[in-house]
Amino acid sequence: MKGRDKVGSSTRLPRGSDTLTSGLAVASLALLAGFVSLPLLNLIVWTVDKGAWRAMGSPVAVDALLLSVRTTAMTMAILLLVGTPAAYVLARADFRGSRVINILIDIPVVLPPSAAGIALLLAFGRLGLVEQYLNVVGITLSFTTAAVVMAEVFVAAPFYVRQAATGFGAVDRRIEEAALVDGASRSTVFFKVTVPLAFPALVAGTLTAWARALGEFGATIIFAGSFRGVTQTISLAIFAEFQRDLDAAVALSVLVLGFAFAVILAVRNLTTRSTGYRA
Amino acid sequence: MMVSGVALAGVADCGRVSGGEGGGGGKQQGGTLTFLGASSLIDAFGVLANRFEEQNPGVKVKQSFESSSTLLAQIQRGAPADVFASAAEEEMNRAIKDGLVKGEAEVFVKNREIVMVPKDNPANINRFRDVAKPDVKLVLAGKEVPAADYALEILGKSKDEYGAEFEKDVLSNVVSRESDVRASVNRVVVGDADATFGYASDYTPDIRDNVKVVQIPPDLNIVATYPIAALEDAKSPGLAKKWVELVTSEEGQRVLKKWNFKPAA
Repeated sequence: MKGRDKVGSSTRLPRGSDTLTSGLAVASLALLAGFVSLPLLNLIVWTVDKGAWRAMGSPVAVDALLLSVRTTAMTMAILLLVGTPAAYVLARADFRGSRVINILIDIPVVLPPSAAGIALLLAFGRLGLVEQYLNVVGITLSFTTAAVVMAEVFVAAPFYVRQAATGFGAVDRRIEEAALVDGASRSTVFFKVTVPLAFPALVAGTLTAWARALGEFGATIIFAGSFRGVTQTISLAIFAEFQRDLDAAVALSVLVLGFAFAVILAVRNLTTRSTGYRA
Repeated sequence: MMVSGVALAGVADCGRVSGGEGGGGGKQQGGTLTFLGASSLIDAFGVLANRFEEQNPGVKVKQSFESSSTLLAQIQRGAPADVFASAAEEEMNRAIKDGLVKGEAEVFVKNREIVMVPKDNPANINRFRDVAKPDVKLVLAGKEVPAADYALEILGKSKDEYGAEFEKDVLSNVVSRESDVRASVNRVVVGDADATFGYASDYTPDIRDNVKVVQIPPDLNIVATYPIAALEDAKSPGLAKKWVELVTSEEGQRVLKKWNFKPAA
């Protein structure tokens, strides 16, 4: 998300460009900032005005937030464990079919999540190809928290893998090779050289993927269903409440806004402090 | 959410939308009638919309089908619509109380609940009380959706017959709450759920190959009453009146009966 700071500083507006152009550019920025902040501000004003914040402590809200915390944490654990080596291979290895895999990895980004949900349902639902075998060993996925995590991994994976691969790709191979020549093992080089150098990209990828998982709606409601405490994540709870009680839906939206904001701030702070690098 | 397209029946599941398309912007003597209806009405009202457009050349019928509670919330928030029909009196009464309805609401049709299970019946549900068996994956419509409220009412009434634990056992089998009754029926159609509560009219011809019906004992069942009314903020009050007339007419009742609804009278 935020390799942007560097890019931004290198593309300054040309000096002496006519003031009209820069004026328009500034106006565009103000327009965009206003467009984004107005609805967010409204959420908060509404919440205070209607006393809707009480709904934040409701069992529905608490269960939904806790479930979202749990499922997105599991999603990110899976992505870091599986996605990091996968991204490294994608960045380094030039094998037959790597182009195809590259495209395949990106498909969930452009696929509407509802379509992803249908696809997951057909593959892992009861009528699906996989479930028939899982059933034999006594595993069912539909309507379980595992199904929520699967939906989140499906839609969020490309956001992490893509940015991690770009990060790894930007690491100078000569530094890695120098360390190898000095007698370091491959895994030492990976963890002590490659990962630290690619760290900002990994953090950025983690944040976007996590945000995507937190916002996941379409694939989850279709593949996992909606049930309090089991599959009703905060996005689903907002939709369910919206159908009956707008105030509660607003309160939940503010809750998730605050939560997302806190997580992003915390991650930024931690990474800045531990690496001195603004991710 | 509100699209207009031609025809119906098959799209019952995800479509949620039917109706007919007149022509591009045929304004002349035509106009548009916008109808918001409980999702169980989607098939029958697709037919009625076509009938209405035949009878009123140049008129376009736009329809949106969702749970009655969702539609009520939309109307309360100012969704532009001419006529509202809900699957329970509760939603209509709230609309009346909020001053959203013009004139009086009229009950136009009745319905009852059934339990639906997949054809291969994985949970082996052969009579109503089997839905309380452990490990049945039961799907219900969401909170405050009439189909689900009626189901809860039935469970409440079952106490005398099946014991105090029955209701609790059934509710502990619920694995998902869907946005409306058709969504919960579809969970059974695709085989992911073992059972759901729906209306007799939801057992439509296009799902009969995939779904089996388990009857609810008549003494426990409810009578769902569907009121219809023109809305105060209707853009086409004349068409709204005509639409209600068609729905309550003998012809309209015939169509509804064909889709397993019971006549109101």
